Amino acid sequence: MTDYWLSKMFFDLQHDPKLAADYRADRVAVIDRYEIKPEVRKALLEDDVGALAPLVNAYLLRFYFQIRGMAEAEFIAKLHKLDAAATPAKETVTNG
Amino acid sequence: MAELVGVFAACHGPLIAREWDTMPRDHRAKLTAAFDEIGKRLRAARPDLLVVISPDHWVNFFINNLPAICIGVGEEHDGPPEPFMKKVYPRDRLKGHAAFGGHLLRTALDNDFEPALSHRLRLDHGSCIPLWRIGVDAELPIVPLLVNDLEEPMLNIKRCLAWGKLLRRAIESYPEPLRVAILGTGGLSHSIGEPTMGWIDEEFDRACIKHFESGDEAKLDAFLTQELPRTGNGAHEIRDWVIAHAAAGSNGFELIDYFPSPETFVGAGFASWTPSAVR
Repeated sequence: MTDYWLSKMFFDLQHDPKLAADYRADRVAVIDRYEIKPEVRKALLEDDVGALAPLVNAYLLRFYFQIRGMAEAEFIAKLHKLDAAATPAKETVTNG
Repeated sequence: MAELVGVFAACHGPLIAREWDTMPRDHRAKLTAAFDEIGKRLRAARPDLLVVISPDHWVNFFINNLPAICIGVGEEHDGPPEPFMKKVYPRDRLKGHAAFGGHLLRTALDNDFEPALSHRLRLDHGSCIPLWRIGVDAELPIVPLLVNDLEEPMLNIKRCLAWGKLLRRAIESYPEPLRVAILGTGGLSHSIGEPTMGWIDEEFDRACIKHFESGDEAKLDAFLTQELPRTGNGAHEIRDWVIAHAAAGSNGFELIDYFPSPETFVGAGFASWTPSAVR
């Protein structure tokens, strides 16, 4: 289920370098500008890729964790753990 | 009357720009050769105008206003906003073609299609990586056709085929002697920001190529309708190839190159079509 305000915050962070800088300096202050649900806020503060992934478009999720400063390899590893939980053997993954 | 003088397709991906200088030399050489071949064929076609069919990567549109398809009808468009594009393709503005864009829009509406329109689009890496690597002349006017390839629900494949035919009809009904080329960008398979991120589905890609080669629209439609939900999310950009394919008459496909590119997270596909009559 798409979470509109989470998506909106990710979209705004992608488009506004100043907001992204503010986010890096004080995540909570930026999160408070949006109608973010408590459980989503918790997932943001814990960098919980698995909890956030079902709530936003996958491309926005990738942009967000780039802005967040998570190395792409770490982001991919967290995603692959979700895949391993859902489908134990995907032999055709060729990267990551 | 205008005429369709060339149809092409090429992959894109942020890592092609971000990692261009640092990727393995032999891989960069393969990408270079494929993009260069398209550039050579495009220049040989001597187009006056290029229709670029591409997704919008959350640059112009958001989920509060998300068209299935949008025609850029402006005299000018903005260059890519992504920081990683600025260093390789530092163009703030791209020339549009308002007269043909407007004609395409009117042709669409007259034929029961309802696109969105924009008098100024910002063209992200989806459009601009191929333009950069192909070496498209900065003076060549562009009419962007931005397709929602990122967020469900999307245009079905039948409708993409219909859009291709409509695009061809618009070209052939344009009253001025304009040489028009088409470039579809994106694909083939890739997986971005989802649990299979990095997956390149070579089996899907090779099957796609076979369907484009066969030219059977019903089989292409059936294959993609069944398989797109099963492969990585980036493969939805194949819609841009399908529109190009139908505009070319669903015939005359020629694969320039295909190879899995784990370095850039894409099934790297490059193709051209020799236009024939629309079926």
